[in-house]
This record gives sequence, C-alpha cells and structure tokens, in this order.
Amino acid sequence: MHDVQSIVRIRSGNQMVAEGALRAGCKFFAGYPITPASGIYKTMIDTLPGKGGVALSAPDEISALAYCVGASLRGQKAMTATSGPGWALMTETVQYALMTETPVVIATVQRLGPSTGGATQNAQGDVLFVENCTSGGYTIPVFTPSNPIECYELTHIAFTWSELLRTPVVVMLDKEVGMTSEDVNYMDIHDLTTLSRQRTSMSGNGMDKNIDTYYFENPEDVPSFVPVGGEIKSTVTGSAHNKAGRLQKNSPETLEVLYHLQKKIDANANQMELVKRDIEEGARTLIVSYGITARTAREAVRRLRKNGEKVSWLNVLSLFPVPENKLRNSLHGIERIVIPEENFGGQYRSVIENVFDDQDVVGVNKIGSMITPDEIIAKVV
Amino acid sequence: MSTNAGIEQELNINVEDMDIVYERPDTLTDTRMHYCPGCSHGVVHRILMEVVQELGIQDKTIGVAPVGCSVFAYSYLDIDMQEAAHGRASAAATGIKRVLPDRIVFSYQGDGDLAAIGTAETIHTANRGEKILVVFINNAIYGMTGGQMAPTTLDGMKTSTSPFGRNPDHVGHPLKITDLIAMLPGAYYVTRVAVNNPRNVRVAKKAITKSIQYQMDGKGLCFVEVVSNCPSGWKMTPVEANKWLEENMFPIYPLGDLKVPSDDK
Repeated sequence: MHDVQSIVRIRSGNQMVAEGALRAGCKFFAGYPITPASGIYKTMIDTLPGKGGVALSAPDEISALAYCVGASLRGQKAMTATSGPGWALMTETVQYALMTETPVVIATVQRLGPSTGGATQNAQGDVLFVENCTSGGYTIPVFTPSNPIECYELTHIAFTWSELLRTPVVVMLDKEVGMTSEDVNYMDIHDLTTLSRQRTSMSGNGMDKNIDTYYFENPEDVPSFVPVGGEIKSTVTGSAHNKAGRLQKNSPETLEVLYHLQKKIDANANQMELVKRDIEEGARTLIVSYGITARTAREAVRRLRKNGEKVSWLNVLSLFPVPENKLRNSLHGIERIVIPEENFGGQYRSVIENVFDDQDVVGVNKIGSMITPDEIIAKVV
Repeated sequence: MSTNAGIEQELNINVEDMDIVYERPDTLTDTRMHYCPGCSHGVVHRILMEVVQELGIQDKTIGVAPVGCSVFAYSYLDIDMQEAAHGRASAAATGIKRVLPDRIVFSYQGDGDLAAIGTAETIHTANRGEKILVVFINNAIYGMTGGQMAPTTLDGMKTSTSPFGRNPDHVGHPLKITDLIAMLPGAYYVTRVAVNNPRNVRVAKKAITKSIQYQMDGKGLCFVEVVSNCPSGWKMTPVEANKWLEENMFPIYPLGDLKVPSDDK
C-alpha cells in the first residue's frame, strides 16, 4: 500500500466543468454546439448516460435551457453550457428559472462579441451582459474560474448555491480558460460538500388546491421545493405570482414574492464571497483579476516582486454578488486598484468603481489579444 | 527524333487560339476558398453564381448567409451578402425582400442553421410564401463546430455527440424538413438535388435557375435542398464521402422534385 500523492491528467477547463457538475450530482444536461463551449457538451454526452443521467442534444439554446428547467422542476440537478450568442437566446429561460425559483446551472464560455463575434477569440465582454440579463435587475450569481481545478470546484459550488437558493447560477469561463488543456492533479481538488435543495415535508394526495407551494416566512427564506409530478399539486408560472404559485397582479403577497427573489440572494451574499488573495504588507496597489487575467496577473506579481516591489493581488472567484467584504478588507494601505479585463469598457471595473467610489480604480483593457504582464505592471504604483 | 521533341512540340500551344470552355464566372471572386477538400459548398457557390451571371442579375441579387461553415460566403459570392445571426437567414431575407421586392433575394443555410435553430423562421418564411429562394445545404452534421449531431443526422450515424450512433429512440429520426416545407401552401417550388457528380450538378443548376426565374416572375418561395457531404465531419476522404452520400444519404433524402408549380404543368 502506498499513499496516492498525485493523479495527473491532461484536462481542459471545459472538461473539468463537466466533471465538477457530475461530482455535484448533475443528472441532466442539454446542449447545442457552440465554440468555445462545445467541449462541455461533448464531455457530458460521453459520460452522463453511463452514470444514469440524461444528456440531450437540443435544436437551439432556447430549448436547451428549457429542457434543463423542466428536469429541475422535478428535482433533478441540471446544467447547460453555451457562449455569448447562445446566452442571448437563453435569457428568456434564465429569467423564467429565476421567477419560478428553479435551480439550474449555466456554464458560459465567453468569446469575442457582440453578435456572432469571434468564435475562437478570447474575451471577457459578457460580464454585464450575463449579470444584467433580467427585467427588474435581479442578481444572477456568477462564478469565474481561472484554471481547470477552479472550473471543477466552482461548477460544484455553483450547483450548491443554485440548489440552496433555488435560483439560476452561472459559471462564466472565457475561451482561454475553457479550451486550454493543462496538467491537472486531481489531488489538488479541495474537499467539496454536495448539497441539494430542501424538499417539502408536506404531504398530500395531489388534489389539494391552493397549497402555498412557494411558502416562506421571511422574505430572505428559501421555500422548500415541491416537485412537479409529486404528491402535492404543483403550480408554476413565470408571471408574477403569490406564494401558491398562481398569477396575481400587484397584490401585497405578489410584491413580497418579487422582493423575496432578490432578498434571498442578498441575505447570502456574504457567504457566497469567494476570492483568492495574495496580500503583501506595504503594497500600494491591489491587482483585481478574474478568469484568464488571473494567470497574467500572477506573472505580473511575480515580476514585480522579483524587482523588489510590493504589490497585492486578489483573484475574484465569485464575481457576483460582488465580494464586497473580502475586497474591502484587502484595501489596507492600498492607493490604487488595477483591474485587467479583456473588454474595452472595463465592465467589472465599472462595478467596482460603484462599490468603492472613494478608491482610485484603474483598468487595463484590451480586446483581440491577451493582456500581457507588462501592461498590468505599467499601471502599478 | 527523340520522344522529348514530340512532347515539346505538343506543349507549344498558343493560348490565343484556344476556345474557353470553362472558367470562373465574374460573379465569383478570385479567392481561394477555405472549405475542406471535397466539400460541396464550393460547387454550390459556383453554380449559384453561374446562374446569377447567366441571367445577368449580379447587381440586383442579394444573398443572406448563415452561421456555419459558409459564414464566409461573402468572400466568394461577388454580390451584396449578409451573414445573419444563427438560424435567422430566411427572416433577414424576408425583411430585405419586403423592402426591395424587385431584387432577387436568397438565403443560403446549412442543416443546423435551417432545420434546428432556425426551424421556426424556415417554416414561417415558407408558409408566408415569401418570394425568395432558400438554398439548403444538408450534410447531416454540424461541420464548423466540430462534427456534432444535427437534426438531419442519419439513424445510427456516429458524430462527436452521438458516439454510439444516432439513437432514434432517444433523439428521434432525421428531420426531413424539405418534406414539411413541400406541404405548405406558401411553398411554390420545392426540390432536392445533389452535386456529387456532373449529372447531378447540372440538375442542381437547373433547379436554381428555375427558382430564380420563378422569383423574377413574382412567384412564391422556392426551396432547393442540396444533399451534401462533409468529408471532415464524417471523417472520410472526399471519394469515400461521396460514396457514403450515395449509399446512405440518398435513400433517406431521395433526389427529385417534392413540389412543382401547378401552373407549370
């Protein structure tokens, strides 16, 4: 007998998203071909049926996500994967899942936009597009891995939060993170606890009318789940509804439900915060990265320190809700926040500027090619 | 007298004296195409543009390309070309034709674009009897994204997302969308052709010529399915792919007219 020190395989980020989903208990996948996300689709088609799950090819992204929501209405953990153009089509059902409190995980692998854009070009231009896709401005939790291990772990965590909060959760990669294959030591994967939604303890004969299947005491509470096709009569609607899941216009109870959909996320925002930090005492600059720019930022930090300069670095893994506390308590002595992003507008920068309006926030922005470490270093004070 | 001398004499040809029997139409750009060897796209591009040249309508023909391998059609077809969003080509063509009814408008779409993500657009364009030509390249696979199963993939056919072959119990049989289109009153002329041999190329070209003439006469929707190959996606040589096409695709997608105009005898 000998201890296993390492199990090393060559894996892409896309493959690890699929494996993380399987580890989280994902039993349903639907997909439509789209570069650079097709690797997730392919891996799920290859592996899910052998694990007793269903992997289905959809005629478009509208159907793909709707299949997943249907499966999740029964209680199955479901996922789909896409890129910007497919996300555009999914926004209808993302909102439906949010409104009907149906857990579902969507992996989206960013490519250059807008429209069909550049299928094989990296970008981080979907940050606000993904986050701000709802009528009403609800928070969509978004996790952003920067390497294959994080792809595995964050997909697993996305399932956890999706289940616990009963809301759609996004794992947002970019093309470089999704399609780059590298050596992965499976022993590096952290212990992960798999959690599922709280199911109803109510029982019934399937005929009872007007049971509050979406009942909650306080607005931040998450109602226990009543599956379709179960003992309790289940009514689900994407329209504004009361706690019985029935369409109602502007009643106090309906408005309470509409507030609740956001409050349950706000109430858990602190717990969802996930960052990796490398704080150096005396540093005046904090580099904030996510996705592929984390890899560049790491190299920038290494070069700066090699030259004896002090710099701090924070990699955001939970992009939304904004990890406000962990960012705030990384700001001791910081005079400038530098945010490299592969988009021209500084999308996450605009979010951070809003939250930390007393800070000097500087972007390193570029589209069409990757940001270099030197471009980040040039902005460091 | 050496043999070489004879050859040299034979090669001593004056180009000026030769008759041109075959050349690139002016409606095709002088560009090397990016399509894989043996792919049907190049042939269909060519016959489409030959017809445009022969009918003298280069300056009044407008094409709409799909998302798929033929996204670059505008690089080759020397006419006004748009690339629409995935599946929306016939919808975009509708808008163009409605505001420019005197122009010749066509969409050019693959099976993923036309028969999966664009099914609704395709059916409704036909049902409205939109006076456009739809050229449907059916190669039973998603070529550009890496050979995934398409709605038109044959039963039992292996693709990257049907690794054990298409299982009709799981995903249904191949969608014969051209047959559906032929059922709609708005469809004027519906036919299925191929470009795998010279005879079929001639038939295909005739179908496209007829379709454009019908459009010039103000008739309804013309729909030309080209049963095509995808050597790269099928993982075959071009010769193998054309053989496989004949043996496997034609029985499911038989060539011939599905709907001919009633006033055309």
